[in-house]
Amino acid sequence: MEFFLSRYRNLIVLSAALLLQVIGLAVQVRRPVTVAADVAGGPAVHVSRDGRGVLLIRLWAASLVTPFERVIHGSGEGLNGLWNDYIDLRHTKDQNKELQQTIDRLRLEQAELREDALQGQRLQAMLKFRESYIYQTEPAQVIGTSGSSQSRLIYLDRGAEDGLKPDMAVITGDGIVGKVRDVFAHTAQVLMINDQTSGAGVVLETTRIRGILRGNAAGQPQVINILADQRIQKGEHVLTAGGDQIFPRGLPVGVVDNVQRDPERGSFINVVIKPAADLQHLDEVLVITSLDAHLSAQQQADLATSEELKGAEAAAEAERKKAALEMEERLPGLKDPNAPATAPVLGPDGKPVVAPPVAPKPIPAKHPDRFSPGSAVDSPGNGADSGGANEAPDASGESAPKAAAPKAQPKAQPAKPNAPAPKTPQLGRAQ
Amino acid sequence: METLIPDYRRDLEIRRYPLYVYVLAPLAAVVLQAWLPRLLGRFAYMDLPLLVTVYFALNRRSPIHGTLLGAVLGLAQDGLTQGAIGIHGIANTVCGFLAASVGIRIVVENNLIRMVMNFALTLLSSAIVMFVIRVLLGLAWHSSWLDELLRAAGNGLIGLVLFPALDRTQIRD
Repeated sequence: MEFFLSRYRNLIVLSAALLLQVIGLAVQVRRPVTVAADVAGGPAVHVSRDGRGVLLIRLWAASLVTPFERVIHGSGEGLNGLWNDYIDLRHTKDQNKELQQTIDRLRLEQAELREDALQGQRLQAMLKFRESYIYQTEPAQVIGTSGSSQSRLIYLDRGAEDGLKPDMAVITGDGIVGKVRDVFAHTAQVLMINDQTSGAGVVLETTRIRGILRGNAAGQPQVINILADQRIQKGEHVLTAGGDQIFPRGLPVGVVDNVQRDPERGSFINVVIKPAADLQHLDEVLVITSLDAHLSAQQQADLATSEELKGAEAAAEAERKKAALEMEERLPGLKDPNAPATAPVLGPDGKPVVAPPVAPKPIPAKHPDRFSPGSAVDSPGNGADSGGANEAPDASGESAPKAAAPKAQPKAQPAKPNAPAPKTPQLGRAQ
Repeated sequence: METLIPDYRRDLEIRRYPLYVYVLAPLAAVVLQAWLPRLLGRFAYMDLPLLVTVYFALNRRSPIHGTLLGAVLGLAQDGLTQGAIGIHGIANTVCGFLAASVGIRIVVENNLIRMVMNFALTLLSSAIVMFVIRVLLGLAWHSSWLDELLRAAGNGLIGLVLFPALDRTQIRD
């Protein structure tokens, strides 16, 4: 026995190590554990894939690695800050002034928008319609990754002590990034949207096609399992649908990059998305920690200022309107004040009769012929519409204009040599 | 061929290192493996924990040592992912055992051998990872073999720099 153990010691150790790990794998594919998640405004429960022992290994690994990552990240940030804060300070004063002005303006605009949002929520509550709004975010720095190409995971420098909880949405200013998975005391894992195990409800902006966002092997997010649709075009924007109870509705996800047919199911397609957020080079992200309206003291002060300004603006607008009315009364109009007032002509029913528009008189022709308005062939008793110089006259001249009364006038007025030639009616154009 | 087979007692002796190297080198490998992809993005073609496993397994010439070191480093790698714990653990365990077994029979200071070993063992590690994911766990997990080849090549090249640097820390009589 001793001989056997000493001879095959290496193989025994190898087998034991492999066996233990295979048993560990088998334990992990048990039924997932459902635990309560108390994300404010978020889902009631979330499903944890890890048992207690597995979570412990993750905790050890994260506790071992993240302090060093934090130091490396902090050192890099420190050097960067040293350069930016103390050395490279050209134009900083001017920029600071401009930024301060921008901040003041944006604070008031934000307060106005918040008023609108609150009003919208009140209306939604009246209609029994519920939608989540982002009210509180926690900025966080990305300090590391999973280190494996099979796992699109990042680590943040914020954890449970900063208010982070599982299943909180993580975004940047450009678009969504992922959701918080495991949270430790000072760090948190974020499962990115391009991971193969991730999932988010999305909607294509134009076609309104809904689907589930998931990563592929190449690390690109794609909307999977949707029926082939010719309307889906490259460049169409993709937004969060809000149905997953993690991401608020309407956040940008990306644009359609290309459409691939599902190799397993021919009638389905996968829409590959170019993410709006740069998932390869993330530095700072925002974790949505609350979807409820909790206004800070500063925000409430801004809101009050905005309301005061709105009242002042409304009063100023009313003053302007009043002054304009007064000015309008004082200014002379286009009517002649000395002209005698004409009484309106009343019809048989007692209502004022609107005078028909006066037909313009045609300019007399320089060399009148039988087609000219008011020529000798014009039959005075013709009741046809005289509208037209554009109408082709027939042989009897029935369609000649009726209004051309001074038929002898062009002959009686000989044209002066220096006088400008009178305009001819545009008769020939219709012929 | 003679240069590949150990002829001298010096070639067959077990290399020893200070304790801090045994602690810091694996730790640095895991930390850098998790941190460097932030800088390099998807071009982080490397597997530093596997490289450290192979290095110590080759130079210690102890399959047990290589097996246990591979298991610990692999489990640490798994702990940083969201996948099942044990995927990289199994892969690194096998690679550590094989590297130590081969290290008994060949000259481990030859750079060409080191590069070929690193390339081959990285590919083997990728194959084991795929096997565990697809067969043992039954998950539909796709990967690009071009990426795996590039990772193997990256490991081969990094080993040319890392192994001589670690050689300098060994205790000499």
